[in-house]
Amino acid sequence: MSSTMTNVSETPEARPRSPLYWLRYSITQYTIQWLLLIVVIILSLANTNFRQPANLLSVLLQASFAGIGAAGMTLIIINGAFDLSVAGILGLCGVVLGLVLPSIGIVPSILLALVVGVLLGVVNGLVVTKVRVPAFIATLGMMYIYLAIGFIITNGQVVPVTDASFRSLGTGNLLGLPIPFLIMIVTYVVLYGVLNFTTYGRFIRAVGSNPTASRVAGIPVDNVQIFAFALVGLCTALAGVALTAYLSSAQPNMATGYELRVIAAAVVGGTSLKGGQGTLFGTFTGALFFTVINNALNLFNVGAYWQYVAVGLIIITALGLEALRHRFAPASRG
Amino acid sequence: MQTPMNPTVSAPQGKPLASVLRFFQVFESVGVLAMLLIVVVAMSIINPVYLNLNNVVNIVITASIISVVGMGMTMAVAMGGLDLSVGSIQALTACVAASLLDTTNIPLTIVGTLLLGMLIGMLNGAIISRLRVPAFVATLGMMSILRGAALLFTDGQSILIMGHDDFARLNTGRLLGIPVPFIIALITLAAFYILLKHTPFGRHVCAIGGNENAALATGLKIGRTRVLVFGLVGLSAALSGIMLSAQLLIVDGTLGTGLELQAIAVTVLGGTSLAGGSGNLPGTLLGSLLVAAISSAMNILRVPPFYQYLALGLLLILALALDALRRTLVKRAMMGEA
Repeated sequence: MSSTMTNVSETPEARPRSPLYWLRYSITQYTIQWLLLIVVIILSLANTNFRQPANLLSVLLQASFAGIGAAGMTLIIINGAFDLSVAGILGLCGVVLGLVLPSIGIVPSILLALVVGVLLGVVNGLVVTKVRVPAFIATLGMMYIYLAIGFIITNGQVVPVTDASFRSLGTGNLLGLPIPFLIMIVTYVVLYGVLNFTTYGRFIRAVGSNPTASRVAGIPVDNVQIFAFALVGLCTALAGVALTAYLSSAQPNMATGYELRVIAAAVVGGTSLKGGQGTLFGTFTGALFFTVINNALNLFNVGAYWQYVAVGLIIITALGLEALRHRFAPASRG
Repeated sequence: MQTPMNPTVSAPQGKPLASVLRFFQVFESVGVLAMLLIVVVAMSIINPVYLNLNNVVNIVITASIISVVGMGMTMAVAMGGLDLSVGSIQALTACVAASLLDTTNIPLTIVGTLLLGMLIGMLNGAIISRLRVPAFVATLGMMSILRGAALLFTDGQSILIMGHDDFARLNTGRLLGIPVPFIIALITLAAFYILLKHTPFGRHVCAIGGNENAALATGLKIGRTRVLVFGLVGLSAALSGIMLSAQLLIVDGTLGTGLELQAIAVTVLGGTSLAGGSGNLPGTLLGSLLVAAISSAMNILRVPPFYQYLALGLLLILALALDALRRTLVKRAMMGEA
């Protein structure tokens, strides 16, 4: 019960709503989805290149690399923690995958990469819960450790990936859609199920809403958090598989700045850094929104360096707007 | 549990609390120093080159540059905050300093660069206090924005600093035989120490870090203090940017990557608790010397550079674990369960 999000429709009186009310409701509840729709319509009208099917498919493809990882990040932020080490996890998983691929074949390599991702996530979770270090600093330290391990096992070299059928995982299409985008959809569907229909998934939100109450209620708070970190590791490893296939190579620093893009997708999608609040659908839209903006910057020939500025501005704006919304609508808080 | 609730908790439980606190006070002042001594002694046995005057001066200069940022970070941590954008501020200000040198004189360059850093830091503080965004995410966003700004400013190119021998003396010069960067670090230490320990401002910083709600209830101007503290962090990052450009004499927009990790590591190593409420500035200087000594040792032992990330990451986790242990022990001692 406490795990369901408070929303406007739960006011006690059940009088019929005017259309205006439903419009306002959908705008406040689905802000980012409306925003994405408006931006896509404007861009389609303003730029003929944007609305080309090839470009739209490439937006979906580009969105999926950050999008897959953002699913995990959403869970850990809902849990009230944070993971800055995802760039290190992604690089390390990609490197492991690239190194073992020639000798053990595609499926075992992918499974191994996913297992490595889960293990690294569990390590993060153990450091945060057992050593009692604040998550964002612990994972900042872990990120450099993972990066260093990646460099040590590759000796600083790029790992080439030549297997054509593996590479099609990153570059191929299925049912007219890029395969990484399909992986992203599956990831979100599965995690939605985990978050809403499994006991541990529901604990994730409960712990994020109120850790003390959760502990008193007998929820194994530490284990739930380790579970959430493991899911982050799993999603990030999956993104690593897709990115390695797409780039046809792997190196430890292949995802520098990944944490920013992933966190941006989550917070733009309405995930609250206070924990407890956020939806996977929001993050999914956030990842698309973000890629559309980057794509537009490219189409309008804005230099690559501006994208750093755009990422930061979007994160801060999204968080600032959320804070404003809370300030002006205190009643809607749980 | 069976001890009755006692209004004068500190009297009967004073002994364990005092001993726990004494252990950590001793550890704070001696622990880092001991680690530093171990590194230096071990290295001087393994390879005497380590104690060459040149190498020692290099260690001190590297440590000075890190410690200046670390002291800014220490102020932020004492206030219960954190600044992840220091590396980007360092890059941007180093590039601005390098290009200002060609258009104006050295004093104006230094003042202008420091002012820029301070303003950027105050912007960080304003975002955090006005928009109510958690410090680490706000500065994470600013890290990206300022990195973009530094790359845009230099257009991705390097800037050479040529024909400014006086500026280079900021790095190579000696005063009474002491390298100038170390003197800058000592002056920064003195200034920040006085600010933190002997002014109302410093007491407000510690009060906010100790208990923000209580500070708010006391009527402290939290927003203004926060903006000023982040301004100081920006100022210190800009100072380190100037020192770094004087050392390298060639700068670009990618400088300072990972600086936030170093600054946080030396702060926590120096004994400043992430819980906030106090700051150990001399400890930060010692922590910087330790980090610089380790990194120089690894260079001399020809350890590949990526092992240094590993060492720094592990050192940070170790320092954080000690900090967590201290907090747990102190809490337990205060609760009377020690």
